[in-house]
Amino acid sequence: MQGKHTMKKKSAKQRSIEKKSAKQRSIEKKSSESKYVEKQYTEKQLRWYKLIGKYKSQKELFFMIIPCMIFTFIFCYMPLRGWIMAFQNFKPGKGYRGSKFVGLQQFEFLFKDKTFWQSLRNTLVMSTMNLVIGTVVALIFALLLNEIRQVGRKRIVQTISYLPHFLSWIIVCSLAADILSTTNSGVVNNLLLKLGIIDSPILFLGTKKYFWWIYVLINIWKEMGWNTIIYIAAMAGIDQSLYEAAEIDGANRYQKMWHITLPGIRPTIIVILIMNLGWILNTSFEIPYLLGQGLVLDVSETLDLFVLRYGIKNGNFSLGTAGGLFKSFISIILVSATTWFANHKSDEQIM
Amino acid sequence: MKKKNIKMEPILFHTFNTILMILICIMMLYPFWNTIVVSFNDAMDSLKGGITLWPRKFSTYSYETVFKNELLLTAAINSVARTVISTVLGVFVSALIGFVLSRPEFLWRKFVTAFFLVTMYVSGGLIPTYFLIKDLHLLNSFWVYIFPTLISVFNVIIVKSFMQQLPDSLVEAGKVDGAGYFKCFLHIVLPCCKPVLATVGLWCAVGAWNQWFDTFLYCSGESRLTTLQYEMMKMLSSAMNASAQRDPAAALAGQMSSVTMVTPASMRAAVTVVAAVPILVVYPFLQKYFVKGVMLGAVKG
Amino acid sequence: MKRYKKAIALFLTATTVLSMAGCKSKEKKVDSDDAKATETTKVPATATPEPTKETADPTAGPGTDEKDADFLLENPYGGLVKLDDADDPITFKVFIRDPKQAPASDNPVINKITELTGVTIEWEFLVGDLEQKEGVMIAGEDYPDAIFAGDHAPKFIDAGAFIPLEDKIPNYKLLPYIYDEKQEAKMTAPDGHKYILEIYGAQNNPSPVFRAPNAGFYIQKAVLEEAGYPIPRTLDEYFKLIEDYKAKHPQIDGVDTIGFEILTNDSWRDFCLRNPAQHLMGAGNDGDAYVDLNTMKSSYYQISDSAHNYYKKLNEEYHKGIIPAETLTENYDQYIARLTSGAVLGMFDQYWNFMSADNVLLVDGKPERSYIAVPITDPGVPDGYLDAKTGKITGNNGIGITKNCKDPDRLMKFYDYILQREVQDYLLWGEEGKDWNYDADGIDRTQTPERRALMRDEAKNRDLTGNVLWNFCPKRQGLYNDGTPCTPEDSASEFVAGLSEYDQKFLKAYGFKYPAEMLSDPIVRPDYFPLYAFPIEDGSPAKVANQKMNDIIRRYFPQLIVCDADKYESLWQEMLDEFANNDLQPYLDEIDRQIATYNK
Repeated sequence: MQGKHTMKKKSAKQRSIEKKSAKQRSIEKKSSESKYVEKQYTEKQLRWYKLIGKYKSQKELFFMIIPCMIFTFIFCYMPLRGWIMAFQNFKPGKGYRGSKFVGLQQFEFLFKDKTFWQSLRNTLVMSTMNLVIGTVVALIFALLLNEIRQVGRKRIVQTISYLPHFLSWIIVCSLAADILSTTNSGVVNNLLLKLGIIDSPILFLGTKKYFWWIYVLINIWKEMGWNTIIYIAAMAGIDQSLYEAAEIDGANRYQKMWHITLPGIRPTIIVILIMNLGWILNTSFEIPYLLGQGLVLDVSETLDLFVLRYGIKNGNFSLGTAGGLFKSFISIILVSATTWFANHKSDEQIM
Repeated sequence: MKKKNIKMEPILFHTFNTILMILICIMMLYPFWNTIVVSFNDAMDSLKGGITLWPRKFSTYSYETVFKNELLLTAAINSVARTVISTVLGVFVSALIGFVLSRPEFLWRKFVTAFFLVTMYVSGGLIPTYFLIKDLHLLNSFWVYIFPTLISVFNVIIVKSFMQQLPDSLVEAGKVDGAGYFKCFLHIVLPCCKPVLATVGLWCAVGAWNQWFDTFLYCSGESRLTTLQYEMMKMLSSAMNASAQRDPAAALAGQMSSVTMVTPASMRAAVTVVAAVPILVVYPFLQKYFVKGVMLGAVKG
Repeated sequence: MKRYKKAIALFLTATTVLSMAGCKSKEKKVDSDDAKATETTKVPATATPEPTKETADPTAGPGTDEKDADFLLENPYGGLVKLDDADDPITFKVFIRDPKQAPASDNPVINKITELTGVTIEWEFLVGDLEQKEGVMIAGEDYPDAIFAGDHAPKFIDAGAFIPLEDKIPNYKLLPYIYDEKQEAKMTAPDGHKYILEIYGAQNNPSPVFRAPNAGFYIQKAVLEEAGYPIPRTLDEYFKLIEDYKAKHPQIDGVDTIGFEILTNDSWRDFCLRNPAQHLMGAGNDGDAYVDLNTMKSSYYQISDSAHNYYKKLNEEYHKGIIPAETLTENYDQYIARLTSGAVLGMFDQYWNFMSADNVLLVDGKPERSYIAVPITDPGVPDGYLDAKTGKITGNNGIGITKNCKDPDRLMKFYDYILQREVQDYLLWGEEGKDWNYDADGIDRTQTPERRALMRDEAKNRDLTGNVLWNFCPKRQGLYNDGTPCTPEDSASEFVAGLSEYDQKFLKAYGFKYPAEMLSDPIVRPDYFPLYAFPIEDGSPAKVANQKMNDIIRRYFPQLIVCDADKYESLWQEMLDEFANNDLQPYLDEIDRQIATYNK
């Protein structure tokens, strides 16, 4: 490995590969030092030259990334000056300058409201349930799909499973409402009645304890196939020779899944989990919006709906911005914490 | 194969798996099938509900209404154009950034990763974004469909994570042959990433295709820039409005039946089918990249 | 083409027309109560020279080229003729807050207007969320030439988007005529300027009330028929009828009978749940508060005794099985599906909201299953479901011309041109003899059945007639000075012609000609009416209080209906506590303040 590298590259690489064994590191250090010492540079100059050398060798990478960063800065960071609205009583007609500065009033409005905290709880519960259950179900489906040997059948199942993603929430929710109703079209109630599990139809959508589960199930119904795609793609990237080796060792189907497939897509799973964790306060607001009513409002109200009703629907852009700012704050904390944790707990760079 | 006691297992497993997959297929096919059925059912009749597996009263009126739209061809062309351009550029840019961030030696790696990652969770909101688009003179311009959504950080991270899985020896081998980073990226790394690029491409394509909000905000005054989804939204909201006419005077106009009409439900179904079918074709086309061993061949070759 | 001439010696003032076309007994009240309104309407009518008393034969009108004084009075530009500046084409972009589809580009009627005036109107109808659209429009000052913003107009006015029109209106011929003194109060913005050309409700001569009200307790006609055509007046009577019918007919056409439905699960249609109490108290469809007409002070009817008793009654009916639990979780589609089954006996709703279900029942040949509104109130309270037509606008429901407008005067001239009777008829009624005919009296008129069918087909109506242009421009409504209805909706004959045979028989059994007779005489509303049109500033304490209040009742009302009977009082108290604990007064204060401005 060493023989293939020039000195410069090795030292550049050294900086990031921190987990290499101490022994190996010291060897590299020694060799690079020795080269510069010969030229009689001071310690400070030495560091400088090393750094410049690294930059020089990576200039192509910089050429590749800097335009993208500028682009992102323009389209994502520039609009952030709009955050000032969260501290104003913003009126579109007056602009940032003309609008009145109100300090933390918008946040106060949010935090003082007890429905805000209730919606925060509901959002957290629904999102977490959805994230955990949704991911597990998608993974199991991906694993089972992966076991289908006939390529044609596999493709058909996969294609069908992602169809619901293309329907709007309003279609899916109204179908769900029909299926869960207590009337003749309520397939679920009819089935339970026929099987003798219940005596009288259950008003699923009017009962608080069912709402979160209904939320998760509808989400799975609509998005499971779509969420599976990335796992299937990741599985396609696993080195086939690993399976061949395992077969020779006499591993069975489940052992292969557990010891090869799952570890093989583990980084993908973790990365997706971390990124989704950042969106934990963004529930799909359509389900609570379409299926929540007076009887279940205590458990169905979400943060987005709260902000929608008091913010955007009331033309109060400031409140909407304040709500967004709050969510961003929580997201970034969550993502940084989990990224740090993931990077430190595993021996590879996750993020 | 090797042990006798697991011989029964494959048969059991595959029976179980097949049954499960059939059940899942039925569950997943039902909503879409039902939407198609409703779209072909008479609108007035659909109001009665209870349409499940087959149209009760066949009618193509909803589709006739949709296809009467004069802007449909323009809209379809724009939608296809924005989808193709967004996908090609989007996949390339995601791969490019993903590649840079996946290089362990890259000096600014942590900073740049954070720089991109943060943008996933922050947003200036509607009005500041509008100001930006206006200042960039992108209002009523086709490029507003491409640029603001060009870099999807989610896609970047997914690609990066996939590239990190590739053996280090790949790039290094390239560099030994004297290729620069960009050449390595183009000729060695990209071909190995087909499965993930296909996934990201699918996401980009579906995302671009389904987008109507940017037309609504930035191009609604310019009918030559309309998109299919926007036209569909337009017809749908007009159908919803017709039945939910808030102006009582206007609503009371018809006391008796109008037999030929569209309803929100029938319109929604027809619009969904028209808007979804073209993009549904993309996936089966991309599926060949998800076959096992694609990458392996690339590495070996 | 001289249609109004046929109407003979008709300067029947609005008053006489009303008593002719309407139902005798009740119009008296309208007249007396509405004296003020009629007086003002007379002003322009009498100020103009009286039409010549030329009694023309309705079938054989004089030559079309003859333009006499009366004709020019209502067609100051000479009717449907080419304007001088027609060869100087101009396009105006108009944003409309409602989601609709624009008429086809080959719409013959609208193209003809373009040919005659040189003006093309390019519509931009709303798609998506109005708040967001107007937010960016205002922030970026990217206005089209004109905007119809409905009740959102104050936002544009506050942002300085619209130009004042009070100095311009008098320069035109028909605009000052339809926006006369009686519209003054509602047309004037708080800053004293007039910005909005109202497009709904401005009537010089109001048309009579013959329709049932929009909002009300509806009951299946079959229920009334079986009970011998009574008129229920209290909740007890109403539910008694329903209970009896349900007991006798546990199933209708094989579907289990449902006593009473309440649409609650909808983001804004839940007025079916929220609104009844104000009507029980005898108010009209006012808004989110009850206004005491003696003191002109508002209060929350949602926590009144009326409301308490109403939801208690619903609670009883729920436990009796008259109200199914399912109704509280149903979405709008499911609700309509239930109604179309014909098995629902009653509900509180507004007609337009369930019109589609009513239509299905008629098409299915079950006219007896369709619905009629009955005057349910608290015992001893006169019902106030019907609004007398005063011809006054509700305010902020019209077109504003923006400061970006290329040529405001040209646009106003276009609107003025459109207001001509001949143009109005051309856009809305079509061709006389082919699309519509005068009645024998030469005053009222009806559409031909083919035309009626065409107007009811939304797509054909949009693409083949001038309806869209008519709808989103200032327009003539009510009656012309000769008594001829301006629109099909103002025509009593047209209304009767549209009734089904069953309905005519049904009304006859009561001895009525119009469904409106089922209810008390139309009430002349105070000047401020209605509350729901009041502009409440976004993000203000009043707006927040209003939202809060609605959130509370949205949560409690369904629970009040389904809770155990003995828990009702404690739950009610809990809701009252919520009302007390949240600061809901700002909303009432704000509307009191606005009401006071009308009384000055």
